This record gives sequence, C-alpha cells and structure tokens, in this order.
Amino acid sequence: MVLDLLIGLPGDRPGGLLLSVLLGLGAGAAALALGFAYAAACSAGRAFGLPLQGASALLRGIPLILLAFGVAELVSVPLALAGLLALTLYSLSHTGEILRGFLAAYPAENAAQARVMGIGPIREWVTLRIPHVLRDALGALQTHWISLLKDSGALVVIGVGELTTTAKLLTDRSADTGYWLGVLGLAAGFYLLTTLALIAAVRRIGGPVGEH
Amino acid sequence: MSGASLTTAILGTAMLWLVSAALALALAGLLAWGSTAPSRPVALGARAAVNVFRGIPTSLYVIAAGLLALRLPGGAPPALFPGTDRSFQIVALAICVALALGSAGHLAEIFLAARRALGRPRIEAIRVLGLGAPARARVVAREAAPVALAPTGSRMVHHLHNTAFAGLFPVVEVYGHVDAEANATFRVGDAVLTGCLVYIALSAVVWLGFRLAEQALTPAVSGPEPPRPWSSTS
Repeated sequence: MVLDLLIGLPGDRPGGLLLSVLLGLGAGAAALALGFAYAAACSAGRAFGLPLQGASALLRGIPLILLAFGVAELVSVPLALAGLLALTLYSLSHTGEILRGFLAAYPAENAAQARVMGIGPIREWVTLRIPHVLRDALGALQTHWISLLKDSGALVVIGVGELTTTAKLLTDRSADTGYWLGVLGLAAGFYLLTTLALIAAVRRIGGPVGEH
Repeated sequence: MSGASLTTAILGTAMLWLVSAALALALAGLLAWGSTAPSRPVALGARAAVNVFRGIPTSLYVIAAGLLALRLPGGAPPALFPGTDRSFQIVALAICVALALGSAGHLAEIFLAARRALGRPRIEAIRVLGLGAPARARVVAREAAPVALAPTGSRMVHHLHNTAFAGLFPVVEVYGHVDAEANATFRVGDAVLTGCLVYIALSAVVWLGFRLAEQALTPAVSGPEPPRPWSSTS
C-alpha cells in the first residue's frame, strides 16, 4: 500500500506521490516561464495588457476540477498530459498575476543603470530583471506552489493516477473503514511531508522568505 | 441543458458554500485566537492545527468525509441542500465540514497576518483600553478587517471552487451537474462552457461582495491622516 501511494499502482506507474510531484513541477515550471511572458506582455502596454489580464481573471474564475474535466474531455491527448495542461493553465492564471505585480515594482533606475553600462535589453532581462523579480516574488510563489501541489488532487476527476486518485482507488478495494481511513491518512501524511520539503527547498534556494 | 436543474445545482453550490464558509470562518477565527493565546500549549496546538489543515488537500478531506458519512447509520438531518436526496443530506453536511477544514488553516493565516499588520503599538493600545477578551477581540477584528478582507475574498473564491469536490458524491451542485449533462447528452463543450460561466459569475459575486465590504470598512482618507495616539512616531 505504501509503495502504491508513493509510485502508483502496478501497471500504472509512475503514479501516486511521484506523479503528483512530477505534475506539480512540470506545471509550475511551465507556468513560471509563461508567466514571465504574460507579465512582460502586460507591461508592454494597455493594448496587450488589458485583454490578457481579462482572460487571466476569467481563467481564475474556473475551478481546477472543471478545467481538468474540460481539457480531458475536449482535447485529444493522453490523460496525464491533459492533467498537466489543466494544472499549467490554472497555475499560469495565478503565477502570471504574481509576476506582473512584482515586475511592475522593478526599480526603473536599475534598467536605466543597465542601459548606461551598455547592457542590452535581452541581457538586462536575463541577468538582472528576472532574478530580481524572482527573488522578490519567491514568498508569493512558494505559497502558490504549495497550493498547486495540493490542488493536483483535483485531477482525481479524470483518473490520472496521482496520489489522491491512487488513494481513492485503494479505498475502493475494501469496505473496512479502518483500512481506508489508514490509506487516506497515509496519503495526507505524504502530502504534508512533501509540502514541508517544498518549503525547506525554497528556503534553501532563496534564503528565508522575506529576508533578502 | 435543463434550466430548472441548473438552477437547483447553482442553489446547491451556493448552500454548500454558505454553510462551509461560515464553518471555515468560525474555525479560522478560533485557530487565530488560539495561535495568539498567552498559554503556550494552546498556542502550539493551534499552530500545529493550522499547519496540518494547510498541508492536506481539500480533495482528501472531502473523500474521507464523504466515505465516512455514507457509512453513518440512518437519521436524516433537515433538508438544507436543494436537490440533494434526503438520504444524502448528511453526506453534503459532512462535505461542508471537510471544505471548512480545507480552508480554515489558510484563513487563520490571513487573520494572523492582518493582526500583525496592525502593529504592536496599536495592539497594545487596544489592550490598555481595559476591555474584556471578547470585546477586545471584536475591536481587533474590526481594525484588522480592511487588511484581511481582500485575501479572505480570494480564499473564499477558491473555497467556492472547492465545493466542486462535492460532485464526487451524490450531492447536487454545479460541477456534478456539468458532469451528468456531459455524460447524458454528449454535448461536453456546451456543458463545460455553461459550468465555466456559472462559476465565473459566482466567483465575481463573491469577489465583489468582499470588495464592497472592504470599501465600507476602510476609513476614507481626506488629506493627511492625523497622528494616532499610539503611533510610534508621536
């Protein structure tokens, strides 16, 4: 049972916690890259910014569970990919707004200083602006990533095989209340430990949040 | 898609949200109060509960609560949830408790952050007013409300979205309705689009409600704010 929760049911591996983490990492990374593109487009002017922000606000109004259901039913891709796509869209609607806010707060004098030093716009973005925004936004991003990992449980509606789905399938195997409470308790414990590990990892990468 | 059943599903979602949000806010208030209690064991217990509630996905709470409620012996509670069969009202009620547990930890963190934002001098000033504990808590809550309402509103929108997990059980709400319509009519696109529009509209209502409350509770600033008697610079 423990192994099934960790890596998925036999014949459906990778699944369980491993798949939850992979989906969370994949969606988080894709949303981070797309979020920067979104934030940059929004900062380029109102013509781009307003429609993009409107679309993002509408996306945030849709529950992940419905997003996952819609993508799985309407897009002809394997279920795991549909789950990843839904999670990425969900994450992008939050990450994009976080990055937009912190990008808007990027000090104008830093950009001016870079220009004086002859640093081109692309290099300025890669070496100065993106690291600065990432460092500032780390606290908010950490909160979102924790939420993203837990929200991956919503993919239970499409049966991707991540931790919540695996736990639910295991509970369906027995009518014994003690058994399935144990399964759900163990899954809850795995989520909790992974969340704590994620917090520790972010602290290690960025230093204690808010102390930079 | 049948208009009447969609209306019932919307009412079902609204009732799930109302009951579970009320429970979540009450529990969060209790956890926030416990976290700042002078008694160390109470504060540690409350902090541990906040971290555990925040670390476990709502989907797991809902699955556990639903399965437990399905095994409860007879005795149907009053019919609170429109459209849900009388025999599954207890499941809907259990899901409300699960949804409340899923949000209480996050809300408690928001309340604590808003309290911290008041600053130690203001908290001390309220303390020396000589009020009893409940009156003091009311004053702190009133003072912190303008800061807490925006993130509380965001969380309440998320909480609304979490009510969709009730669709995993025979409880009538919007996501379950979308799923059933998609399976019955095979018009998946129409069903999903309707569901999206309903959730966007409901989310907007929740968000707007909190924004209006925020505006109503935020003191209007005209000209420079006079120094407060407890300000650290006065």
